[in-house]
Amino acid sequence: MNTIDDFVTLLRDELGLPLGAEDIGRSFDQVEGWDSVHLLHLLTALEHATGRRISLPDALEAPSLEHLYAVAVGR
Amino acid sequence: MPQTSDATVAQRLRTLQQAGTLAVEYPRLGPLLAEADDDELARAGRILARLDPGEVLRAHPGAPSLTVAVTGSGTLAPLLPALAAEGARHGIVLRTVPSSYGTWLTDLTDPGSDLHAARPDLVLCVLDPMTVLDELPSPWGVDDVGRALDAKLALVEKAAEQFTAHGDGTLVLNTLPLLRVLTAQLLDLRSRSRLGVLWREANARLLGLAERHAAAVVLDTDPLVAEVPAHDPRLSAYAKAHLSPALLARYAREAGHLARGLVGRTKKALALDLDGTLWGGILGDDGAEGVEVGEGLKGEAFAAFQRVARQIGSQGVLLAAVSKNDPEPVAAVIGEHPGMVLRPDDFVRITANWQPKPRNLTDLAADLNIGVDGFVLADDSPYECGLVRHDLPEVAVVALDDEPALHIEKLLRDGWFDTRDLTAEDVARPLRYRDELVRKDFQHGFDSIQDYLDELGVGVSLEPARAADVPRLSQITLRTNQFNLTTRRLQPADVQALLDDPGALVLAVRSADRFGDNGVVGAVFAHRDGTALTIDNFLLSCRVFARGIEQTCLSALLRHAAATGADTVYGSYRPSPKNAKVAEFYTRHGFAPAPDAGADPRPDSGAATGRADAQAADRNGTTGARVFRHDLADILPQPRHVRLDTSLDLAAGPDATASPGPSDPSDPSEGSA
Repeated sequence: MNTIDDFVTLLRDELGLPLGAEDIGRSFDQVEGWDSVHLLHLLTALEHATGRRISLPDALEAPSLEHLYAVAVGR
Repeated sequence: MPQTSDATVAQRLRTLQQAGTLAVEYPRLGPLLAEADDDELARAGRILARLDPGEVLRAHPGAPSLTVAVTGSGTLAPLLPALAAEGARHGIVLRTVPSSYGTWLTDLTDPGSDLHAARPDLVLCVLDPMTVLDELPSPWGVDDVGRALDAKLALVEKAAEQFTAHGDGTLVLNTLPLLRVLTAQLLDLRSRSRLGVLWREANARLLGLAERHAAAVVLDTDPLVAEVPAHDPRLSAYAKAHLSPALLARYAREAGHLARGLVGRTKKALALDLDGTLWGGILGDDGAEGVEVGEGLKGEAFAAFQRVARQIGSQGVLLAAVSKNDPEPVAAVIGEHPGMVLRPDDFVRITANWQPKPRNLTDLAADLNIGVDGFVLADDSPYECGLVRHDLPEVAVVALDDEPALHIEKLLRDGWFDTRDLTAEDVARPLRYRDELVRKDFQHGFDSIQDYLDELGVGVSLEPARAADVPRLSQITLRTNQFNLTTRRLQPADVQALLDDPGALVLAVRSADRFGDNGVVGAVFAHRDGTALTIDNFLLSCRVFARGIEQTCLSALLRHAAATGADTVYGSYRPSPKNAKVAEFYTRHGFAPAPDAGADPRPDSGAATGRADAQAADRNGTTGARVFRHDLADILPQPRHVRLDTSLDLAAGPDATASPGPSDPSDPSEGSA
């Protein structure tokens, strides 16, 4: 997973949500179908894709996909 | 459905989702999901969890469906997609109703709770160890755990009692996994052992709830956590999800099979391939001496698998061998090879020929009078597995491979044959089906059906049911699909409630003939309302119909109604995908359509309790029912070739007739339940 596009693709594949590039900057409450529960499902998949451990509390507090990506890749 | 061979299961589901055809394709998702591994199934579940069950039911009004309430002591969000995936695997539409976090106790005990209002068929109350750990002081000792367990168990017991008193669904509880993060906090091994004792005693108390409440099932998590981790520390700490997603997925799998049983779709027969499945090697190439079974490393693994198949067969599952082979060498190996565990008597049939397997399975289903959807096939050949999945998607395929040591786990991974209760009838079933094949051979020696029936010596007993009949009668309502006039499924607790109801009449039908005792083969559920007797359901095992048993019972019931002062008998027929065979059962026997009569004239059947919603009507088997009426003026005679035993009060009936009745089919073996 090298770019935020890869990240969105992974989310789409794992969650079956119709996410697009336009959702990246939106806050989660404006992303159709988003639920914080999805993060629980994503944790393992994201760690597998990035090869690093992700902080679940940071991920749970991320307000948007953009922030979540930053948490996932450790920036 | 688009079939791109290299697309993953989740990708194929997403394609359907984007095309908006997921609901329409729902009945065909089972075979697709059958190929998914655990990760793929989890992904599939997340897609399917967003599918509206109402949309699926609009597309497939006849699809089996259940309302499933999900409650428990932690965050159960990961369970919902897992349930969606299992529902789709089984072709059952699950209307999942999740509760709010931490409300399980009120959900179960308050008759006004949202959970009760949803009228669930199945209530999954998922308990986790944190519900006990959260009660511990800091620091704690073994006795504190004992007290916390006692207090929690008292609550669970109370909740189970109150729920089973008010609710009418099946309540599913589970044992609490014992976590090492708890035991390892005690440094001395003696205390640790004591903790283990207390914990197991609490779990044993939980398991005991299933014995005390007919409507409760307790899922033992020990065998599940022996295979997957019970706990994910981060999900537990940050999301209060105290059971791991992997454990919840296994839990969902068990719940899926329970749901399958509730809608009457438990599998009935296990078809086993031979070469590579029951023994190593190819019989046609290697000869009887060359096949590996019983001796040698692989031979022992195959023998172990045979023992498990035999174990399953001993509990009422029909075993059949279905193999591409010449029949003679197969008969020689099964009959004489010293390493074989399964012998000819263990099988209801050994089919060895060169026909395609789907054809053999449909033939076998017809001969045994069961639906082909009652079959599980275990086969090591990817070609055969693929062919059966393609041609007969309703058959569950257990795809084995070239590692016989994994056969057992693969066969048992799904609880295809799981059942709430095992009855004496189950244990005797394979023998009775073998007898049935003998009856067919016997029948071939007669010129006419009547000659055959006269020689068959059919005896029928029609008696009010006793408490000991409850599990079997419930099972008949759950397993019987064809001769089931209203497909009203009754759990054991429902049957017991009818037995306790003075206005209800529950009759057990037993039959026997020169080939042996068939046991309890049918049931009649009726109730009396003034001078009217209403037959709520009439069921007969597909194994024995078209022998005059149904006419005998109906005739006796009508005479009983007349003898006890009734002037009218109502019967109803509710069409299902499988019971078209009995659509004219009532009209053939002197009933006239009574379109003006209510589908369920029974005063207490729902309307009186203010819960006459469509769902309850559906559960009671009254939606879409056609009602028929008999005025008792001209009661059909009992077929001459049947002897009837009953303690029911019968009016003097007309003389017996030579004919087995107006529904006498040209071939007594035509049924296929």
